[in-house]
Amino acid sequence: MARTFICTCEDVTVKDVRRAFEKGYRDLESVKRYTGIGTGPCQGKTCLAIAARELLKLGATPGEVMPFTVRPPLHPTFFSALASLDPEALPLDEGVPRKPAPVEKPRPSGALPKKAHVVIVGGGIMGLGLAYNLAKRGVTDVVLIERGYLTGGASGRNGGGVRAQWTTPTMIRLAQRSLAIGDSFAAEMGINTWFRRGGYLFLAPSKKQVERIEKNAVLHNEHGMRTRVLTPAEAKDVVPELDPTRFLAASWNPDDAVVFPWPYVWGYATRAEALGVKVLTFTRVTGFESEGKRLTAVKTDQGTIQADIVVNAAGAWSPEVAALAGVKLPNEPERHEILVSEPLKPFLGPLVSNLGNGLYFSQSLRGEIVGGMADPNEPEGIQMGSTLRFLSRFARALTEVMPITGGVKVMRQWAGCYDVTPDNNPILGAAGYDNFLQLNGWVGHGFMMAPAVTELMAGWMAGDPPDEIFERFTLSRFERGETAGEDFIIG
Amino acid sequence: MGRLNERFAPDCTILVDGHRVPARAGERVTSALIAAGRPLLSRSPKYHRPRGPFCLAGSCASCLVRVDGVPNVRACETPCRDGMRIETQNAVGGASHDLLGAIDWLLPKGIDHHKMATWNQLANRVAVKASRQLAGLGLLPDEVPAPWPAASDERFEALVVGSGPAGLGAALALARAGKKVLLAEREPALGGRLRCRLGLPGDPELAWAAEVAEAVRRAGGEVATGAAVIGLYPGQEGTQAAVVQRGEPSRMRRILAPRVVLGSGSWIQRPVFERNDLPGIHAARSLAVLLAEEGVTPGERLAVLGKGPEAAAVAKRFSQAGLKVELVEGEVARARGRSRISGLTLVDGGEVSCDALAVATDRMPAAELARACGATLALDAATGAFRVKPGEAGRIAPGIHAAGEVTGPCSAAEAAEAGRVAGEAVARG
Repeated sequence: MARTFICTCEDVTVKDVRRAFEKGYRDLESVKRYTGIGTGPCQGKTCLAIAARELLKLGATPGEVMPFTVRPPLHPTFFSALASLDPEALPLDEGVPRKPAPVEKPRPSGALPKKAHVVIVGGGIMGLGLAYNLAKRGVTDVVLIERGYLTGGASGRNGGGVRAQWTTPTMIRLAQRSLAIGDSFAAEMGINTWFRRGGYLFLAPSKKQVERIEKNAVLHNEHGMRTRVLTPAEAKDVVPELDPTRFLAASWNPDDAVVFPWPYVWGYATRAEALGVKVLTFTRVTGFESEGKRLTAVKTDQGTIQADIVVNAAGAWSPEVAALAGVKLPNEPERHEILVSEPLKPFLGPLVSNLGNGLYFSQSLRGEIVGGMADPNEPEGIQMGSTLRFLSRFARALTEVMPITGGVKVMRQWAGCYDVTPDNNPILGAAGYDNFLQLNGWVGHGFMMAPAVTELMAGWMAGDPPDEIFERFTLSRFERGETAGEDFIIG
Repeated sequence: MGRLNERFAPDCTILVDGHRVPARAGERVTSALIAAGRPLLSRSPKYHRPRGPFCLAGSCASCLVRVDGVPNVRACETPCRDGMRIETQNAVGGASHDLLGAIDWLLPKGIDHHKMATWNQLANRVAVKASRQLAGLGLLPDEVPAPWPAASDERFEALVVGSGPAGLGAALALARAGKKVLLAEREPALGGRLRCRLGLPGDPELAWAAEVAEAVRRAGGEVATGAAVIGLYPGQEGTQAAVVQRGEPSRMRRILAPRVVLGSGSWIQRPVFERNDLPGIHAARSLAVLLAEEGVTPGERLAVLGKGPEAAAVAKRFSQAGLKVELVEGEVARARGRSRISGLTLVDGGEVSCDALAVATDRMPAAELARACGATLALDAATGAFRVKPGEAGRIAPGIHAAGEVTGPCSAAEAAEAGRVAGEAVARG
């Protein structure tokens, strides 16, 4: 066939790049995500210039194209090589890439209207999911502002796991609803999410962890989940490559899922816009106007917009946004690093997580091993750099539970920020002002909860009685001292 | 396709999907295949189109194969060994006759993977299952590999990345200033583009690389070939480099250096025209190196695409080697051929007949490491390439300088001079 290729790693043609441009993506980062250029084994070395040239040819300005951030490692590197580094000798610093000098910013995707009924701050899955669900409920006078490009925050940086294995009835209920929505999302929204029920397998390396998963399994079964506690030998049936001597038991729910996160964001955005919502990228909130107990307007770098209701769905940036309104949120951003390997033919069904060290990994639909691992020494702060220390810690943890991966190569590492609250539960409902609604504090599991939560929140905003989560997870709970926390946080 | 003369006669055999291919021990797998007239080495991920080695320099991913049971290995970085087992990947019945090649013909309009099979839930489930089976390249390794030896922790007074003219200029200046330098070169030999031996006006001789290496060693430093810098991480005490050092056994090296000069050069970009992914399209510089060092020629009739002295010099080299060469300066509309290139049609209607194409068009600065260190980039609107925009003497960050093609197109002589200036400045700093 007569095709003209921009990126041969991922078979992206000139036509694909044009299609992305026509959708409004004029910068390389967005085009990369939408088409796949530069995400293959060569990391854009063989295509970035011609992709940028194509965008310029189509009418993007040099400022709009924006430099593309290539992540380490520069060349695919064996996990066994990285495991030979001693993580304790490596610093946990800001990582790379270092901040470059500011470049000319792309144009916002649209003009800021003078007023709107609802203004949502943050164009991640929370904000966009809410915008879509509001529009679906008939509330279409909604403007969403996003400071960067779509998928630039945690919604574009997470590992794409959706699990019902939680420790409280509330979280289980929300996750089960999210799984149900995820199951039909592609057909309903007209965009593939590559939703796959590969299950979740939690490895318990200590007696204490075993007790924990046994207790959880009972609760799960009460909620109609198929969770079982497996012996190491049974776990090996699920994932033959595991080293069964590394854990005592495993918690297995075959109905948990792995997805590709980005299409959720695009799907919600596209459908919300089709229903009349305005999604404005490259538009940054700079302050608020208020009268008494109400916010009256949102100030941005593109002008001011009057609002009846303001929603703070800015993820790790939520405390920053709230501070602009003089509201103090207890959330603290915390970097979590993640990587992908080279693509392999399918071999790994579930997402596997080691409860002993927080390692988690799964196989994406493209065949890459995607995984991360929290670093207990990580300080708080918005930080998106990648460290060598993470590569070595992850490589050691992965090759320990799955030795065959020593012969697999890491392709790319990056980082994102968890939005961490004191009790690992979200912050929802009004805070500081009667019409300043919070939708943040999800501690690294916002992506999987968003489909369910945004549906409930939109319903509540459209006049339904509020779900208990909007009364329980308010900011005021910290004053009341009700902070029974969620302890099943991974990654 | 072939070998220049008896000096380059094969002395061993590698197995490619079970077929015996004559090779010279130590030459790259891609050299053996090109010499044997078999540029088709892989299949593309989505459409299963025939692909072959393009960059021949470890940057593109068109030559990934399974080598002795290890998946996704770059054939262009793999030295031949008698009896080496090469298997093509992501193909049913081998890459040469991949049955899944039908996908390319069945979907002339291409695949919009976002929209594919989203019309109902059942269709989508089936499509997701099928996509998963089709996705991915290699299979898991055959065996658990032996662990790598513990990584070394080394300190140098300066690190120079790349041994092209810019890196050589910088390393020499640093060595002359008495600094203990690590000159890290990813390729198995020093010289970067000087290895093309094109003899362009003002080009330093390749022999200069050996002189620089000698000077570096005399000053207490080290010259490391097969040393790929996979990451640079600036810190308080200097910059930390993660280096994969090929060898028996290969090992990781953690290098701490207060001074760094990046002479990381440039990457080849695929020229944009219809069927620009056919096997038999190769980077001109790499072909020139293959000819000079391994006596391998890519075909009988070579088209050279590009303008300027480099393209002309490559054309001349291959012409002297006895190939029928045509220099193509016009814009190409499409390539012809099924499993390898057989010709070009130009936009002006001109036709070129060839069985290999050497690409000498605009390259892209290899700015990844520089960008990681905080370098400012500038977009060259004509080529679409982002280049490093350095300050005084190539400075991009405290103690880190860049020189040569990473800062934009320049001649080898200009690169060597920029390297010298950067090396001297960083030695003083």
